[in-house]
Amino acid sequence: MAAERIAVETQSQYHGTVERPPVRIPLNQLARGQRATVECSALDALPETERCLLAAMGLGERCEVRVCKPGTPCIIQVDQARLGLPNEIAARIMVTPVPPEQP
Amino acid sequence: MSNRIALLGNPNTGKSSLFNRLCGLRSKTANFPGSTIEHQVGTCSVPSGPELTIIDLPGIYSLRLELPESKVCADCLDGKIGDGRPDAALVVVDANNLPRNLQFAASAMRRGLPTVIAVNMIDLAQRRGFQIDAAHTSRLLGVPVVPVSARTGSGIDALKAALAATVLSQAKPAPQIELPDGEPGSAPSVRWAASVLDAIAAGSAPREDDTQLHDRLDWAFTHPRLGILLFAAVMSLLFAAIFWFAQYPMEWVDMLFATLGGFTERVLPSGILRDLIVFGVIGGVAATVVFLPQILLLFFLLALLEDSGYLARAAFAIDRIMRRFGLPGQAFMPLLSAHACALPAVMATRLIPSRRDRIATIMAIPFMSCSARVPVYALLTTLLFVGRPWAAGVAFIGCYALGAIAGIATAALVGRSVLRGSPPPMLLELPAYRLPNILQAVRIAFDRGWLFLRNAGSVILAIAVVMWWLSAYPLVPPPESATALRAQAAQIIQRDAATAEALDTQAARIEQQAQQAGSFSGKVGSALEPIFAPIGLDRQLTVAVITSFLAREVFTTTVFVLTGAGSDAEGNESTTLDVVRSAKRDDGTPLFSTATSASLLVFFVLALQCLPTVAVVARETGSWTWAIGQLAFMSVTAYLLALVTYRLLS
Repeated sequence: MAAERIAVETQSQYHGTVERPPVRIPLNQLARGQRATVECSALDALPETERCLLAAMGLGERCEVRVCKPGTPCIIQVDQARLGLPNEIAARIMVTPVPPEQP
Repeated sequence: MSNRIALLGNPNTGKSSLFNRLCGLRSKTANFPGSTIEHQVGTCSVPSGPELTIIDLPGIYSLRLELPESKVCADCLDGKIGDGRPDAALVVVDANNLPRNLQFAASAMRRGLPTVIAVNMIDLAQRRGFQIDAAHTSRLLGVPVVPVSARTGSGIDALKAALAATVLSQAKPAPQIELPDGEPGSAPSVRWAASVLDAIAAGSAPREDDTQLHDRLDWAFTHPRLGILLFAAVMSLLFAAIFWFAQYPMEWVDMLFATLGGFTERVLPSGILRDLIVFGVIGGVAATVVFLPQILLLFFLLALLEDSGYLARAAFAIDRIMRRFGLPGQAFMPLLSAHACALPAVMATRLIPSRRDRIATIMAIPFMSCSARVPVYALLTTLLFVGRPWAAGVAFIGCYALGAIAGIATAALVGRSVLRGSPPPMLLELPAYRLPNILQAVRIAFDRGWLFLRNAGSVILAIAVVMWWLSAYPLVPPPESATALRAQAAQIIQRDAATAEALDTQAARIEQQAQQAGSFSGKVGSALEPIFAPIGLDRQLTVAVITSFLAREVFTTTVFVLTGAGSDAEGNESTTLDVVRSAKRDDGTPLFSTATSASLLVFFVLALQCLPTVAVVARETGSWTWAIGQLAFMSVTAYLLALVTYRLLS
């Protein structure tokens, strides 16, 4: 997986920037309105049927999702489509949160 | 059929609306051989061009998914089912969600059929600032690309012309950007769609309006408690509307058939042909067709709800409750509508995508107390609780509860034994909120109504005729007592017409009773009496139960006829009920003891005494095994619980 260069606020003042892999969390841990990106191995924990269906529904590699409603169902927006997923499925989809845009 | 065009696309792309735009009312619903997945076939006229046959396939996300719908679409494109390979494919894509839809279009183009791409909902996308250069995109993809709006009709003529030209030229797709190897969602497919989008619409991606409002609506409609409350409110309104509005057309249908029967009776000479037409054909079909207004209204309102985007959200709200019993959220609607009539409810299970869940739901539906059971409940609870209407009311509600519990328990049992497993997790695309298309809802309602009528005109008609024949033949000569009464009536008719008429009526009842006992069904009743005796039925009641397999409400009519109480099926007239209550068996004991009434009530709650339902279940499950198995299971369950009830109370 490609590493990402990020600034570490605590020590970077003394040591500059460090390389750290991006934090991946289950989709169901995102808050309402939060955005995240889906990497290629994000759906690996799912059975093949669900994995293929979700990919075909738009939850494919490198797509960005926005959480419209957390919980059960977890409603996410992918492009212009809204998908409803049970919480147990959302818990098995690993995503990388997108930092909120600075005003 | 020639110039056949397969219409395919993702769900929620407005595919059906586009089909309606292209074909108007000239379409019919059909199933592929060996499949219960339905598709529409319609005819599209092109000005100064060939007539096109459009095959509207189910909406799918990929042609390679392990889902029946995907397999049907793939087989249709490959010519493995239907009338061979179509002459062309029309792929509908949603202009507001091109990244995913273009991937599907690519997988369809890879099948090698001459292809046209319709970019639907272009009006909505344009309002959001999205523009597409159709000519440039056509060159890039190597197929005609036509922006259309199925809702407004814009671009439809251009689409027809493109379809006609493609069918005639048989030009295969020749894309400038090589089509991806993978299926929709795979890395090559995603990259291909991104590169196409970069080339055709860079920097003009559609933006979604009303995001906050839609988020709030989604929250409310899928909330564990609020969502269920809202659903209960919507459903209450829906069914109140069905019962209120349908009652008038139902009366009209009833009157129409009564008039038709009366007219036929007057016109034709008496004999077997007249009896067959009046009582077998007209009477039998009327008993089923009277539910047509309910069916039309139910499917019209359901179509409106579905088109508005609400139904998919409601399915999620109710899913967490239904799942505990091995049923999906989408099962709630058919189960609820089964309280009106099981026939449309079984047909409404088509909303449920998984076959396993569909069958589990169908197994539960006939247990729900349909409107045909109401007269029977009314009669038996009144007989059980004489002078105690509140107790009769509680028993009435208890019947509904018993049916619902038995249905849900059966679904859970079937789901954990024969069908195995639990419903797959519900993954649904939530369609955008929008004002429902009334014309499309009308079309869906008529489509379902026509399907119902076709069934009534074939299987149900055959059943009705057979049941009528069994109860009408062989003809039994009038009993001596009836002949004597008629002779007495003839003597006094000049001086006392009223008494003569009463005597004639009494004679007719005795003749009817003798006919019932001597007919084939009566003989069957006598033969089956030993089977039903343990649950408290004698020969007369056995005949009534047997004839009620034609339709449950026939039971009350038969009971009134057999006891000579007249034909007031509602049982409102106290004198009529008194006659039934005091009716005796051949051995002089009461016909309706407390134990017999309670046992019959339990039997009617649980038994599948509706042969039309058996026929519809066979069609919807694609197998007579399910239908016969259900009939046997419900009959045995009803019998055993009726037996327990009778033993406890006698």
